[in-house]
Amino acid sequence: MIYGDKNTGILVQGATGKQGEFHIGLMNTYARQVGGKGVVAGVTPGKGGQQVHGVPVYNTVKEAMRDHDIGAGVIFVPAGAAGDSIMEQANAGIETIVCITEHIPVHDTMKAISYAWTQGCSVIGPNCPGLMSPGEVKMGIMPAGLFSRGNVGVISRSGTLTYEVVDELTRAGIGQSTVVGIGGDPVIGQTFVDVLEEFANDPQTKAVVLIGEVGGNLEEEGAKSTDLPIVSYIAGVSAPPDKRMGHAGAIVEGGEGDARSKIAWLKKHGVPVASRVSEIPEMVRDLFRCHC
Amino acid sequence: MKLREYEAKKVLREYGIPVPEGFLIRSETELPAHLAALGEKIVLKAQVDVGGRGKAGGILMAESASAVTTAHALFRKEIKGLPVKEVLAEQQLDIRHEYYLSVTVDRSSKQPLILFTEEGGVDIEITARDNPAAIRKAVILPLMRDIPPFMLRELIGTAPKEIGPVINKLYRVFCEKDALLAEINPLVTTPQGVFAADAKIIVDDNALGRQGFTMNRDLTEREREAEKHGFSYVELDGSIGVIGNGAGLTMATLDLIEFYGGKAANFLDVGGGAESERVMHAVRLVASSPAVKVIIVNLLGGITKCDEVAKGIIAAGIPQRVIVRLAGTNEAEGRRLLSEKGYEMLETMDLVVKKAVGVAS
Repeated sequence: MIYGDKNTGILVQGATGKQGEFHIGLMNTYARQVGGKGVVAGVTPGKGGQQVHGVPVYNTVKEAMRDHDIGAGVIFVPAGAAGDSIMEQANAGIETIVCITEHIPVHDTMKAISYAWTQGCSVIGPNCPGLMSPGEVKMGIMPAGLFSRGNVGVISRSGTLTYEVVDELTRAGIGQSTVVGIGGDPVIGQTFVDVLEEFANDPQTKAVVLIGEVGGNLEEEGAKSTDLPIVSYIAGVSAPPDKRMGHAGAIVEGGEGDARSKIAWLKKHGVPVASRVSEIPEMVRDLFRCHC
Repeated sequence: MKLREYEAKKVLREYGIPVPEGFLIRSETELPAHLAALGEKIVLKAQVDVGGRGKAGGILMAESASAVTTAHALFRKEIKGLPVKEVLAEQQLDIRHEYYLSVTVDRSSKQPLILFTEEGGVDIEITARDNPAAIRKAVILPLMRDIPPFMLRELIGTAPKEIGPVINKLYRVFCEKDALLAEINPLVTTPQGVFAADAKIIVDDNALGRQGFTMNRDLTEREREAEKHGFSYVELDGSIGVIGNGAGLTMATLDLIEFYGGKAANFLDVGGGAESERVMHAVRLVASSPAVKVIIVNLLGGITKCDEVAKGIIAAGIPQRVIVRLAGTNEAEGRRLLSEKGYEMLETMDLVVKKAVGVAS
């Protein structure tokens, strides 16, 4: 697993909001199941001293850090404040920052990610479902019931499509090491390249499923950067140019980043590409057959 | 959201980037009042939201004496199917050389990217393909308020030094106006100095509120309805309506329709927390297109309540067939509700899509 394990204490920013409260509950239910630390502290300015599902709430991240051992932070605050939250967590020294929030202005994201980089922190997201290491830790909003532990890593720009892929893998008896949703925005912290580097150093991960979509060329850069065996899937073959397909980052602009050219590039460089999600488990099995 | 040329030039002027003397007119009758200020040679530019407007006849040159007649003709034209409602009347510039300058968001470096080339006036994508060495690039840490002088020197090369301040001002525009793209093409030199002859600014949709801009796009009735409910919605030209949750899953559903030889009528992402009322509005919205023969509802997620979704589909009460794939909590109850009313609920994405393609053909 990567970015944390059972022993990682999690801080939730935006703890007293509807989303924050709901997901603290789910994250800690999962932590109890696997014997992990889970969410140990929450932060909402002005709500210090309250509790959410028994988790103490602080006014600032630094205050929470004084009382708890925290390795990761998850952000549920509204879009206008999310860039600030990323910087607050980075400034306090949280190593892994997972930003679930959607609709953050790109300039806020660019500044916050640059700042986190100067502090040596990794940002996952924004506009992502977080990450999940089955049997170890859940940081974010992924539905735990679909997952099973194993040695396939999954990296995806999407949320529900990731669940679909994980569901297919689990049903086929293929477990996952860590599943990372890197986010659907044009600017994101950890890209395919960064997560693949983490997977390369993870003894549990033997192969990776890379789920991309239209827009940019992060998939190609990722595939180019690693020696790990990969199976990929690219969503948006039928997406018309210059239309934003739900995600802010899912747009074919200036003839760049369309699904067909991504797929052609991947295939040319020896990366198998599934044309349907349901083909992925069999293709992963094929990888193991030729790499064992 | 893309600003129109005259809006973009107004922003540049605020930041001290020289733009040609110009006036926005909504009829040729408004032109005579500005002729004295515009001088002898005038250019009339239709303010329409299409690329390649010049080649499509949207930019006309005129002498002062005949400019009203030329404007009259331009206002009665259609540019790539769009009527001309606004025209920017500008003085013609005595152009010596054309450059290209832009600041964009670079996904790879996660930083602003500045592009400058001495081969302006043409499509940057064509230069990038045919002569990539001619494009000078710099990425800049977005925490910096100004571009450092060394970076400006590297960008400018042998081009006139007076371009340096323009690059820095455009970077300021890009940062302070929440732009995804700030482009001057061409940036021109004239005996009177440097000018932005054309300008393009795209403002981040997620920052329109704090920038004080309102959407200027013309929406169809269904697009307006989608915006009201907060659905991501794109109209396409097939006959299979699609409702999904999550952009990736919805896109994958569209792709699967194409894989099985069908054509999707739309992309609709209902987003998270699909409650019965939201689902009802989504189903009605998709069904309201006369092209739609059958609708796929493909919802997946640990926290989606299938009984809620089922109630929404039933409440929509639309004439077209709805084929459903649901995975989440209360699946059995959702299935029971749907089958009671004669709706089909299938196990997998592949099954619903195959079925819908069969119904539509």
